[in-house]
Amino acid sequence: MDITKKIKSFVARQGSRSPCSPVEPLVSRDFVIETAVVKEKDDYRESTINPQAEAEILQSIEEVYFNDDTFDACDYQLKKIPAELDLNQIIRDKEYLQKQQYVVSKKVSDLILQNQTAYTQELHRVTELQKNLEQAGVICSQGRSHLARARKDFTTASLGILASFRKRERLLGLLKFLHSIKTMQETDVRLRELLEEEDYPGAIQLCLECQKAAIQFRHYKCISELSSKLQDTLEMMEEKLDVALSKVCTNFNTTHYEKLQAAYRLLGKTQTAMDQLLMHFASAIHNKAFTLVLGYVELCAGGSATKFQKHHYSELAKLITVETFTPCLKDLCKALWEVMHSYWCIVEWHEDHDSQSSQVNAGTEVNLTHQYVRQKLEHGLLRIWQDVQQKVKTYILASDLSSFKFDEFIHILDLVRRLIDIGEEFCNSKSEDLQESLRKQSVNYFRNYHRGCMEELRMFLENESWALCPVRPNFSILQLQEFRFLRHNHSRSILTPPSSPAHSKTESTSFSGRPREGYFQGYRYQGNPFEEKTEEEDKEDVLAPSTTDEGDGQPLSDTDSEDEDVADELKKEYVDEKTGDTPNNRQQRTTRKTSTSSRRRQILILTNTTLNVLRLFGKYMQMMNLLKPIAFDVLICMSQLFDYYMFSVYTFFYREMDFSENALSNKLRTTLKRIRENLILAESESDFGTDTRNKDKVPAPVLSTMVDLKSIEQLYGLAERVTAAESLVFLANQFEFLHPHLETFIPSSKKAFLQQFCSQTILTAPELRRPIYMTVAARGVDYNQVLMLMNCVKWDVHDIMSQHSYYVDILLRELQVFSMRLLEVNKKTPIPKEASDILWEHCIRLANRTFIEGFSQSKKCTNEGRALMQLDYQQFLTKVEGLTDLRLVPERELVEGYIKAFYLLEPALEQWIRSHREYTPKQLIGLVSCVTQLNKKGRQKLISLIEEGDKIRR
Amino acid sequence: MSESYVCFSDFLFKFLVIGSAGTGKSCLLHQFIENKFKAESSHTIGVEFGSKVVNVGGRSVKLQIWDTAGQERFRSVTRSYYRGAAGALLVYDITSRETYNALTNWLTDARTLASPNIIILLVGNKKDLEDDREVTFLEASRFAQENELMFLETSALSGENVEEAFLKCAKSILAKIETGELDPERIGSGIQYGDASFRRLNRQQQQQRRPECSC
Repeated sequence: MDITKKIKSFVARQGSRSPCSPVEPLVSRDFVIETAVVKEKDDYRESTINPQAEAEILQSIEEVYFNDDTFDACDYQLKKIPAELDLNQIIRDKEYLQKQQYVVSKKVSDLILQNQTAYTQELHRVTELQKNLEQAGVICSQGRSHLARARKDFTTASLGILASFRKRERLLGLLKFLHSIKTMQETDVRLRELLEEEDYPGAIQLCLECQKAAIQFRHYKCISELSSKLQDTLEMMEEKLDVALSKVCTNFNTTHYEKLQAAYRLLGKTQTAMDQLLMHFASAIHNKAFTLVLGYVELCAGGSATKFQKHHYSELAKLITVETFTPCLKDLCKALWEVMHSYWCIVEWHEDHDSQSSQVNAGTEVNLTHQYVRQKLEHGLLRIWQDVQQKVKTYILASDLSSFKFDEFIHILDLVRRLIDIGEEFCNSKSEDLQESLRKQSVNYFRNYHRGCMEELRMFLENESWALCPVRPNFSILQLQEFRFLRHNHSRSILTPPSSPAHSKTESTSFSGRPREGYFQGYRYQGNPFEEKTEEEDKEDVLAPSTTDEGDGQPLSDTDSEDEDVADELKKEYVDEKTGDTPNNRQQRTTRKTSTSSRRRQILILTNTTLNVLRLFGKYMQMMNLLKPIAFDVLICMSQLFDYYMFSVYTFFYREMDFSENALSNKLRTTLKRIRENLILAESESDFGTDTRNKDKVPAPVLSTMVDLKSIEQLYGLAERVTAAESLVFLANQFEFLHPHLETFIPSSKKAFLQQFCSQTILTAPELRRPIYMTVAARGVDYNQVLMLMNCVKWDVHDIMSQHSYYVDILLRELQVFSMRLLEVNKKTPIPKEASDILWEHCIRLANRTFIEGFSQSKKCTNEGRALMQLDYQQFLTKVEGLTDLRLVPERELVEGYIKAFYLLEPALEQWIRSHREYTPKQLIGLVSCVTQLNKKGRQKLISLIEEGDKIRR
Repeated sequence: MSESYVCFSDFLFKFLVIGSAGTGKSCLLHQFIENKFKAESSHTIGVEFGSKVVNVGGRSVKLQIWDTAGQERFRSVTRSYYRGAAGALLVYDITSRETYNALTNWLTDARTLASPNIIILLVGNKKDLEDDREVTFLEASRFAQENELMFLETSALSGENVEEAFLKCAKSILAKIETGELDPERIGSGIQYGDASFRRLNRQQQQQRRPECSC
């Protein structure tokens, strides 16, 4: 600034000088010329005066006039005038003065003229000089200005430059700071952008750098504000990061997570992040489950939905309706799967990443962190699974599933089972909680289901007409839809021993759609293991394994099912023509199953109810397969189905007859007693099952009024009896066939029960045939009539008869009628050989009894009479052999022995009586009383022996 | 099927579903009970069973429905289930005249084997197959009128009129009970008081009455 002032004053001085200098000489010259002209005029008037006088006059001019410029002539002359004015004097003085003036003027003029040239010359020179001077002035001023510039340029300027430069430098520095401050201020925006782009590490990096810079610029006032703001931003960023971290829980994304990890590493909070992450997972599980269930509850409740917000999860779960239960469960599983899957991805990411980075930098701190993270994650696995389990468990246990449809329930089980599998893969958990809840619900469901089934079975039984349900000869239960799953299993179990754990493992998992490499790998990038289910769901055989093993030896499932669609009718049902009887695998299986080859030719005898029970068997076995934990409970229930069927057959066709129970074997009697006690609701307590003990009991079935067991033409319902008894045997055979399969389902500790059930109940079932058929044999023939006729026969004849007695013909006719009726029934319902054998056997047995009874009635008998007996019996035997195809007549020796005992002598007779306990005392007494060779004493002795023996027997 | 709803029903009606093979009887029942179309179905063997509790005119009625096989060879098995049926759905296939022609036989069977008061509803199934129709609505409704049957055309595939068919039949039975035309107490009516508590109530009333009598 000094410089400018200096420059300014300098310039001003220069400016004020330069315009003046050239003007001065011009003014003086004009003046000189003017005065010269005036002097020339005076010269003309005074030329007459002579030079002498002139000189004198000149001399006379007072000295005073030559004084300096300040001399005022007028004043001088006026003062010289005396006090008394003398005009003459004045005039003289005036003239004198005029003269003097004239002379002086003249002199001056002369001088001027004289000096004109010189003057001109001089003037010229002066002009020239003036010119020169002017030039010099210009030069001078130029010089001065140059000088001034020079001075400016070389001194002030350079100093100024230096100063300016320095200033500039300083300003530049300042500018840089300002720039960075500006950038820092703008950072905020950028940070926000970065956060929006979710570039957390970038943002944090930036923020940290800013903070560092802020520390540098601490001295600026604006910076302190900024740095506090940055701190806020950083905190906010951490919050955002936290939010982002929480999102990882449900939707893992590698790049995203990488960023997050990098961000936390930058913040130095990797460990805290882990803790935070686990917390987020816990809350994610809770929130997901809660919102989902809440959503469903609100959906069901309709409009007024706000009130549910405050409910507890477990309360909400209770509000889920039956219709929404399954979709909600599925969504719940899906959501929880997502969370678990994210966690799994995180674990995997850390495994990959940390191992890489710890190889690169073996820094202890890094390793420590990694170790910490690994441990945390490992602990987390269990905790998360526990949480997931808890949520699902609460949900499942909150609802009563017992009213669900079977398929739906199976679907639910499958979902949970899948979750359990996932859990196992997730953290090797056995998922006791879930298993337990599954078990609880299953038991509950199954009990209810079973009750329903029993109820239904009762209805079937009570409506059953015990008519043959026609199925085709090679029918096998494996053809039933309910046993489809077994068809696959069955083919497998032929190849691999069912006990091998690896096998059962693959089996149990393969049908639940588990990908071979595990759930987490298989659904790594997309999909949800609970999603696929919907596609499978619509297919009929949910339970069949989706893939058939190679080299399985069975036709491919495709052709199999196609076959079934086309020739469904042929396969499933009975066809009269045997054309459809092509040998195939299935038939071989049938053969194996039915064990006797003769059976194969026969028509299978089963009822509609039998089929129903078989279907239930199939369903129950599916249950066992799916519900391993309650398999045994299911098995018990399955055995009850059989029990009930057996008991019904027993009640309908045996008990209605006034028979003494001794027609049953001990084993069978115990079995039936067991069934009655455990399963059948006694009539007295039949009304209300308030007693929990009776809750699972069912009322005894009542035979359908359609069934006529009274008509003798129909042989007392023989057709129905045959159907019932044979269907029971068929059912028993089927159970036996299923036995090995059942064994694979139940724990080995429980196998004894199955074994016992089979030996005590299943194997005794065919024994029911006998008492059921016996009734028919007993009533179908009128033995009493024969007995009465026999009473009239005289046995004390003395001739050997050549003609048998009349009663034999009657008996044989009775039997003939029976045989015809049997044939009649056979037309309608095929009577299997077992049945007809039993019938005939019993008929003949009863006939034999009648013979013995009849013979024993004789009070008197001769040897000839005995011969007649033999003749009569022989006649009977020859004729009866034509009626039946029995190879041996049962108890024939009993009759013959009785007849022949008549001939025995006393000791032998006594011996005979001792060794033949099969006759009644009455019969024996009858024999003894008509024996002729005995004396009274001997007879008495034998009778007392018989009576004693009778006492002992009792 | 389970006791849980047995105790809510006022009545139990025994129903029959009869008609020629392949008319969609089982599908109708399945649609009625499961609200789903059973795509993969085979011929019924013998008799199958289903039950559902429905609400008819404010009363809950448990329908015990016997789904019979249509094939001739099962006739002997299925006949036994006719007895004591309160209602029947007689099904024919609108795309098959053969099944329509067989209706008379089925009807005779039902009227003779079941109780003579049986309420029968004629059902023309497969309504969705309009293009293949062989039996017109008019024709069938005339037949129904002549034989005093109710009539509906249904589609087990779409579910159209399926529930209505069962409900209509149940409603008609209920109406007859209320007018006294049908007596639930009569054996073989195919109608039972649905539940133990109902009976218990009756008994309690009787028990209450008893002391009055003795007085």
